[in-house]
Amino acid sequence: MWPLRALGPWRLALAHLRWAARPYSGSQGTGSGGGPLGAPGLRTRLLVTGLFGTGLAAAWLWARAKKEQRQQRRRMEALRSAAVGQGDFHLVDHTGRPRCKADFAGQWVLLYFGFTHCPDICPEELEKLAGVVRRLDAEPGQPAVQPLFVTVDPERDDVAAMGRYVREFHPRLLGLTGTAEQVSEAGRAYRVYYSAGPRDEDQDYIVDHSIIIYLLNPDGLFTDYYSRSKTEEQITASVRRHMARFRSAFS
Amino acid sequence: MTAPSMKERQVCWGARDDYWKCLDENTDDASKCKKFRSIFESSCPQQWIKYFDKRRDYLKFKEKFEAGQFEPSERTATS
Repeated sequence: MWPLRALGPWRLALAHLRWAARPYSGSQGTGSGGGPLGAPGLRTRLLVTGLFGTGLAAAWLWARAKKEQRQQRRRMEALRSAAVGQGDFHLVDHTGRPRCKADFAGQWVLLYFGFTHCPDICPEELEKLAGVVRRLDAEPGQPAVQPLFVTVDPERDDVAAMGRYVREFHPRLLGLTGTAEQVSEAGRAYRVYYSAGPRDEDQDYIVDHSIIIYLLNPDGLFTDYYSRSKTEEQITASVRRHMARFRSAFS
Repeated sequence: MTAPSMKERQVCWGARDDYWKCLDENTDDASKCKKFRSIFESSCPQQWIKYFDKRRDYLKFKEKFEAGQFEPSERTATS
């Protein structure tokens, strides 16, 4: 801490304390004020000590505020550079249009990884996600949230398959697919585990994968995540809280 | 093969739920629920049937586990 290292103020404080603690020579043995040219009375010494202490406290608070400002500036710089590179993906949406993370800058994003041949978990999570989006939409004045569904099964989930799948959940739900490499890149960016299981006679298989809904803020930064145990109400409340607290690193 | 649509999923889940309800009512005696089983098998993709069968096994195991039917072994210090 800045003030602790500078010796000057401490010497000054020590000298002042010595002065204030001198036995004072008041006349009648009461404490109120000394003679006109005599030692300063108790009240005077208390007043001066108080002012001196206040001055020191003010200087310390000012130095601390300056340090916090510097730290905040550095943090914003780090956030800006992270926002550009972190969690990027290069995929194709269910209308065939290429998409990357920057396309969603300025929007809150709810992102889920799954596959269209999923027996129960993905439909349930996407229903939950659609429910969250509808609740947030119902709130006036709030920005529209963008729901994204990325496939972990690019071999079967082509653009057409994604289109058929997502439109049954929510009109704004955007399906994203791509080559195996592109999906792998996106999975790495979000630390998503996925592994295709063994095929049966119909060449059908189930993809084991982590089940998480990610929240990205309008700067494109990962902000929160929601597991299968979180309800629609809990996720909605959490997103609202983040929206209320958000301050862009780019403003 | 294309993935099941939302309607097809719901038909499959309904058939599964009917089959599981029958099993619950007959203490998991599959021979009593053959009709429901065949409806279930014709409503869902093969992979899903395997998946739901495993899921049922897991849910039953979880019930027993939570009911305390599995005792921890006495010897814990030697592993």
